[in-house]
Amino acid sequence: MARSMWRGAIQFGLVTIPVKLYLATEQGSIGFNLLHASCLNRIQMKVYCPYHDEVIPRSETVRGYEWSKGQYVVVTEEDIDSVPLKTMRAIEIEMFIPASRDSQGTQFVKQAYYLEPEQIGAKAFYLLKSVLAEQGKSAICKIVLKDREQLAALNPFSSTMLLTTLHWPDEVRAMDELNLPEDQIELKASEKKMAEQLVASMTGDFSADDYQDDYRQALMAVIERKVAGEKPQPAAKTEPTNITDLMAALEASVAAARQDRTAEPAAGSGPRAAATSKPKAVRSTKAKAKAKSKVAAKVAADEAEAPRQRRRKTA
Amino acid sequence: MPGDQLDLSIPAGVSAGALPARVSPMQPTPGPVPFDDPGYLFEAWWPGIRAQAWVEGGRLVRMRAEGLADPLSSFVELTEELPGQLDDDGIILDGWLLALDEGGWLDTDLLRRRLAGDRHAGRPAFVASDLLWSGGTDWQRRAFASRRTRLESVLRDGDRCVVSHALHGEGTLLAEALARFGLNAISARRLDARYRTGSAGDAWLRLPIAPEPVTERPRLALIQRLPFPDEP
Repeated sequence: MARSMWRGAIQFGLVTIPVKLYLATEQGSIGFNLLHASCLNRIQMKVYCPYHDEVIPRSETVRGYEWSKGQYVVVTEEDIDSVPLKTMRAIEIEMFIPASRDSQGTQFVKQAYYLEPEQIGAKAFYLLKSVLAEQGKSAICKIVLKDREQLAALNPFSSTMLLTTLHWPDEVRAMDELNLPEDQIELKASEKKMAEQLVASMTGDFSADDYQDDYRQALMAVIERKVAGEKPQPAAKTEPTNITDLMAALEASVAAARQDRTAEPAAGSGPRAAATSKPKAVRSTKAKAKAKSKVAAKVAADEAEAPRQRRRKTA
Repeated sequence: MPGDQLDLSIPAGVSAGALPARVSPMQPTPGPVPFDDPGYLFEAWWPGIRAQAWVEGGRLVRMRAEGLADPLSSFVELTEELPGQLDDDGIILDGWLLALDEGGWLDTDLLRRRLAGDRHAGRPAFVASDLLWSGGTDWQRRAFASRRTRLESVLRDGDRCVVSHALHGEGTLLAEALARFGLNAISARRLDARYRTGSAGDAWLRLPIAPEPVTERPRLALIQRLPFPDEP
């Protein structure tokens, strides 16, 4: 694994547990470089000073805070080091909360980090982990990362603990402008029951391995083809499915039901025989309209008889 | 030159206004369970809005649906398509307005949104089940078998408008197929019956089927018809 990106200690009460932090995730998207279109060389972003009208080296830059329009105060490394924060090299646990998913404010997560205990603190580390796990608690803590104090939640995870940085309350946007008519929606008991049944039927164990970034893979395939000198194929547009396709699906369902009927006596009419031929969710655009003309023929055959019957009925 | 003049004549020789402004749609009778009977034509009970369409002078001039002031305003796409698929004029069709999702399945949520004014909700469709007028003449007194044959001969299947597919005599088979499909009723129309205004008696039955639980298509649901305040 890559090197740790932070080193410090978890502190709560009088206990200090030295730990290292590792990024738990990485960006999965495909990175591009900007090239000059005419020569295909990588372009460079130069640091330019409009006052001196010249390109300057990055080493000649300092950080400035704009305290008033056009008025800056320079903030140096020493200034940052002198910030009187206890969390500078510590994960300061503020409180423990129930680790339920709807805990207010803990949903707005930024980044997850794995923790690795230093050897000397391993026992205390796993003691804290086991207590959190058994009591279903999350630790809310503060940590300084990249010059910024961050709010974070500490949770047991697999054989370690996961530190998840959170947005501060003032970074979370208000929902006032959204149209959220929860109060005005009336739910009938029958509707709720139906929804519950649907949820129950689709409930399972989530395994992230079952999911993949299809867009990334498709884009990578396009790039690989280009590297191999092939021209990329335009994406195949799916044929719009329409009402005639739905009719074709219905015909297929009728055909399947008819097949089940004829198959059932031979197969011993067990319930399994019926279950094997579910209608296909994918519709073929062929094989429609045939049945319709069949109906028309049958209806036409009956038609000759119909007027006589009608007269009899209405008489 | 006469050839330079704009042709304002109405095709197919049907004068505008030949069709009645209103019809009394036949109302189905609730039936017991699906059955087999060679005297009936069975089709799906489409989970949509029952509607009648007027095509006159080569244009879809009007649609009427119970409880809706102007259903055509929510299904403007049909004004372009339906007349082009008809080989006749002076027609009143009876059928169902539906909305399909991206996968081509019936979606009543999209239908509701469309009726509420969202013109981009789903893909609109009209499924014709019966024909009341054709060629500017009244077909309501003729047997359903004739009307249905006429309907199939004048309306060609298109992307948005089709004749409802049907099974002759085999109601239980259709019920089995539709239960797998997630629909919960079938329609049974007596082939020798004329179009009745108001209550259909045994000319048109709505037969409920017990659907298998639909886990694959959870969005399918039935919109039930609400009676008018002045309806008995």
